[in-house]
Amino acid sequence: MTQTNAASVPSSPLSLIAELTHRCPLHCLYCSNPLEMQRAESELTTEDWRRVFQQAGKMGVLHLHLTGGEPLARRDLPELIRAGRDAGLYVNMITSGVGLTEDRLATLVEAGLEHLQLSFQDLDEVSANHIAGTRAHAIKLALVPILKRYPLAFTINLVVHRLNLDHLEEFIALAEELQPDRLEIAHVQYYGWALKNRSLLMPTEEQVQRSLPIVDAAKERLKGKIHLEAVFPDYFGSFPKACVGGWGRQTMLIDPAGQALPCHSAAVIPGLQFDNVRQHDLAWIWRSSSAFQRFRGDAWMSETCMTCPRKERDFGGCRCQAFMLTGDPDAIDPVCSYSPHHGLLKELRVSQPEALPIWRG
Amino acid sequence: MDLNSTPRLAPGCRLHPTENVLLIPEGTLNLTGPAREILTRLDGSKNVTDVVTDLLKEYPGADAGEIQSDVLSLLNRMAQRGVIRA
Repeated sequence: MTQTNAASVPSSPLSLIAELTHRCPLHCLYCSNPLEMQRAESELTTEDWRRVFQQAGKMGVLHLHLTGGEPLARRDLPELIRAGRDAGLYVNMITSGVGLTEDRLATLVEAGLEHLQLSFQDLDEVSANHIAGTRAHAIKLALVPILKRYPLAFTINLVVHRLNLDHLEEFIALAEELQPDRLEIAHVQYYGWALKNRSLLMPTEEQVQRSLPIVDAAKERLKGKIHLEAVFPDYFGSFPKACVGGWGRQTMLIDPAGQALPCHSAAVIPGLQFDNVRQHDLAWIWRSSSAFQRFRGDAWMSETCMTCPRKERDFGGCRCQAFMLTGDPDAIDPVCSYSPHHGLLKELRVSQPEALPIWRG
Repeated sequence: MDLNSTPRLAPGCRLHPTENVLLIPEGTLNLTGPAREILTRLDGSKNVTDVVTDLLKEYPGADAGEIQSDVLSLLNRMAQRGVIRA
């Protein structure tokens, strides 16, 4: 049995996720943001973010992901993008596209935006707007030809679930016409708001099985044209994923109010204390914040995980999922077939088409 | 990709100024061997032959055929990955 010293800390995360705001024009059924959101008044200022980005660049962070909520809700977005580039970071933005005019896009690209990810909810307008809880689909479609004229990488994201998984083949065909550089197909992660709609969104086993060859064929067909990334649905797996590349190993997230989290749903785990970038330097937080230390290394692991060679690959899976499904954040991730709770997933996989959608107010 | 192609980095892909990596959307590609030397020469106007000629000037002792096949194989691999456009 080898035990990794929890004190051995990677010198820097690779990615900094900056949740600029929780404000969002969309109310997606699958939203993974927490139920309790940070208010606009408590958001970090431009200067706060500038300092954070500088600290990140000095530490050796490579990628900055501007997300939310909707980053466009921040009026200082061009300044924030420029601050990221000035700090030496690669700047990516994840957006609904709502509120993005060509003038505004030009300003963002001029400021240094390098990659834009546009979320779609479904193939057809009625269903997409139903899932997003607002009329956004037509706006997104109209935005694509404008985006294509600007020198930045462009990704289309589609979150899939029971309501849209049967449209996957046609959606990929639509994406081929829209010609993004990348296409991301990801199943819902049942955290935050999405958990409320789990029984509505859970795909059937048949849907998942049908989707797999579609994804494989598209990957092969699109090679050299569109880079396709597909994320397998957790609840249908036999082994967990290396969630955020392992706790406190690759990723750091700053929420709109400045709290530093190891992943974006870490706040669900009871007892974690999050330090704030208003009080602490990023490097100190990365090294010393108790929330980042909590599941670093393998000292926290059960005997099963500790002695399992897969721990070098999945770092014990997802702590939030382990807690939400078993009530114990140290438990084996139930996605793992070695978990005594693995059978629970079979029960949760039962899709309930009669469940009613719940939108965030 | 052939000797007359004029490859360039795809939008949203750039060399890290100090680390030996190519920054790409959602990740990095580690650069080994002559990869960085090749990629720095892609300016959107040089074709593959120009890049090879340029490298031979820099490394006069090198084998021209070997450099040519190294360059083509790297660029083809990167084009498949979507980070190089011809």
